[in-house]
Amino acid sequence: MIAATGPHIDVEALSPLLALTGGGLVVLLVGLLRPRVVREVLVPLLALASLAAALGLAIWQWDADEEIIAGALRVDTLALAFTAFVIVAAAITVLLSWRAVAPREAAHGEYYAMLLVSAAGMSVLVQAQNLVSLFIGFELLSVPLYVLCASEMRRSSSLEAGLKYLIIGSVGSATLLYGLALIYGATGRTDFAAIADALNSVGGPVSDPLFLTGLALSVVGLAFKVSVAPFHQWTPDAYEGAPTPVTAFMATATKVAALGVIIRFFDVALINAQPDWAPALAALATITIVVGNVGAIGQTSVKRLLAWSSVAQAGYMLAGIVVGTQHGIEAVAFYLAAYLVMNMAAFAVVVARARETGLGDAIEALEGIGQSKPLLAWPMTIAMLGLAGIPGTAGFIGKFFLIDGAVDGDYAWLGIVIVVGSAVSLVYYLKVVAAMWMRPAPRSVPVLAGGAVDDPPADAPAGPRAAGGEVTLVAVGCAAGPVVFGVLPGPLFDIARDAAAAMSHLF
Amino acid sequence: MLRSYLPALVFLAIGGILALVFTYANTLLGPTPRKTVKATYEPYESGLPSEVKRTFRFGISFYMIAMLFLLFDVEVIFLFPVAVKLREFGTFAMYEAITFIGLLAVAFVYVWRRGALSWR
Amino acid sequence: MSIEWYLVVSAMIFCIGAGGVITRRSPLVTLLCLELMLNAGNLALIAFSRMWGNAEGQVFAIIVMVVAACEVCVGLGVIVAMYRRRLPIDVDDMRELHG
Repeated sequence: MIAATGPHIDVEALSPLLALTGGGLVVLLVGLLRPRVVREVLVPLLALASLAAALGLAIWQWDADEEIIAGALRVDTLALAFTAFVIVAAAITVLLSWRAVAPREAAHGEYYAMLLVSAAGMSVLVQAQNLVSLFIGFELLSVPLYVLCASEMRRSSSLEAGLKYLIIGSVGSATLLYGLALIYGATGRTDFAAIADALNSVGGPVSDPLFLTGLALSVVGLAFKVSVAPFHQWTPDAYEGAPTPVTAFMATATKVAALGVIIRFFDVALINAQPDWAPALAALATITIVVGNVGAIGQTSVKRLLAWSSVAQAGYMLAGIVVGTQHGIEAVAFYLAAYLVMNMAAFAVVVARARETGLGDAIEALEGIGQSKPLLAWPMTIAMLGLAGIPGTAGFIGKFFLIDGAVDGDYAWLGIVIVVGSAVSLVYYLKVVAAMWMRPAPRSVPVLAGGAVDDPPADAPAGPRAAGGEVTLVAVGCAAGPVVFGVLPGPLFDIARDAAAAMSHLF
Repeated sequence: MLRSYLPALVFLAIGGILALVFTYANTLLGPTPRKTVKATYEPYESGLPSEVKRTFRFGISFYMIAMLFLLFDVEVIFLFPVAVKLREFGTFAMYEAITFIGLLAVAFVYVWRRGALSWR
Repeated sequence: MSIEWYLVVSAMIFCIGAGGVITRRSPLVTLLCLELMLNAGNLALIAFSRMWGNAEGQVFAIIVMVVAACEVCVGLGVIVAMYRRRLPIDVDDMRELHG
């Protein structure tokens, strides 16, 4: 009998993940306690505490570079940086959910535990070093999100969004799984490094039809998850129907995690097959940029507009991955951070106005707030200009790096597509800005308490109420990010460079 | 040669005896109901109607219990590899199994306290 | 028996599942078809695991089984919630979110 030993468990490197999952369990069980104050105050505070602990542990481990659990996960600066982004997004989501309807209907413990588990799944995903952990990460991310989408159980559109997201997400998972199975079949290994070796060997399976089919199916499956066109149709529906804080989490953290795993999967495991996948990914990026920007133009709901815009933004970021260079990854990491804070600011304003007006997420809810609510109007303005890439914001610098990376990697035409796409995107971003500053507040909108709303949407919450200071705080805090990093990009740039340096086999 | 069929024979015999015991033990040991209801003559007194009509619908509680059963049942699959390789991995496998069962226990406590196990 | 036959069967199951997801209207049947797609992947994994003589595919398949169960449970949960609210249980009738 061969004396087998279990894999060595490096608790230190695993600690951010343990903090997230452990926090999820504690929150779930504490949520069972009866007193109202425990459920409504203690549970979100515990969720925040475990997120803070995870963030602290991730920073503590910052310079780590090792494979843990028998090569299932890889903890390096890239993984830790992306984990940190996800944790920040989750913490902001907790703040936005503080007085939201969704946690009350879904039971507080359940809601915040799902959020933490989903964040843990994203952390697994960006550390994945193995086909199995990639799939587990994806499912750990998705399954709680399906539940969160449907968590406003009294609102039919929330349930509908949950079911649609579930069905389409599961089709994506199944397609991805079949692709991964074929890649395993072609190479015989599930480990990323071993797959790369197998592809590099003489007479390797790079041009094997089995491998190419697997590659194509995996790309399709990943595209479903990242909502890359033409597999994006679920995005506006799911984003609109889901509770707004959950939408904010989906739009930011999911993108971070999915792009993180795409970097690992394509630029580590499949780097030797780059001639096979790079043109396909570049074509997808182009279609995504075009479809996302065109789709956003006619939207009247801010949530749908942001959903289409997030499709387009995913296309910009794919361009940084197509080239397969450290420079490209650096640009993606920088842009992801900027994208995260800009989107969070925008969603915070949507949350605040939906609570104050009872108009839901329609653009009319934003009309005229330039005069009446500058603390909400300025963050939204900065977010919109940043997402469009106006100079002076971090969005501009991020896009500049992305284009630079694309040109550097011999994909100059992709850089041109990004520029054209950004120009088109000004149409709808400026529409929102114009609604805030150049139109009077509609008379029928009660600014705060009381007042009859003419024709409230069927799903609008019971009545206008105060937005809550924490939402304004999130809006202002997140809007400060793009401005600060737009003027002083140094610190964020250092983080991005450290992260990209973890992929030392690229140049 | 024929001896190799002996285990099968013993198995058949035990099976037959068990079937008889289960069939008649109820009439010997169980309480005799004073009045018989319609369901008494059904094959499964407390289950689904044996003849399912087109319009028949399952109650919601069936789905709830079925979902929980499915989850807990399938998760036990992770104990199978541990059981197979328990000797080789020794204490490591034991700790892993204990952690896993602990997690299942957390899930069970949650499901129980939330009242998902009570029949409505 | 050579590996091709297992792959052909698994590809057929995958296509049947995908076809069902696209054409069937009831979410319950759609969930059933999703199971078919995932289990087609499982069959391929097991076949390849046998072909390469390592256990990685089998480990993957065990995990996929649990994941599939979780997805179905969440799906059933959402459908039960919709049923309680007397919403139409028909994918084509879900028009509230114009997509």
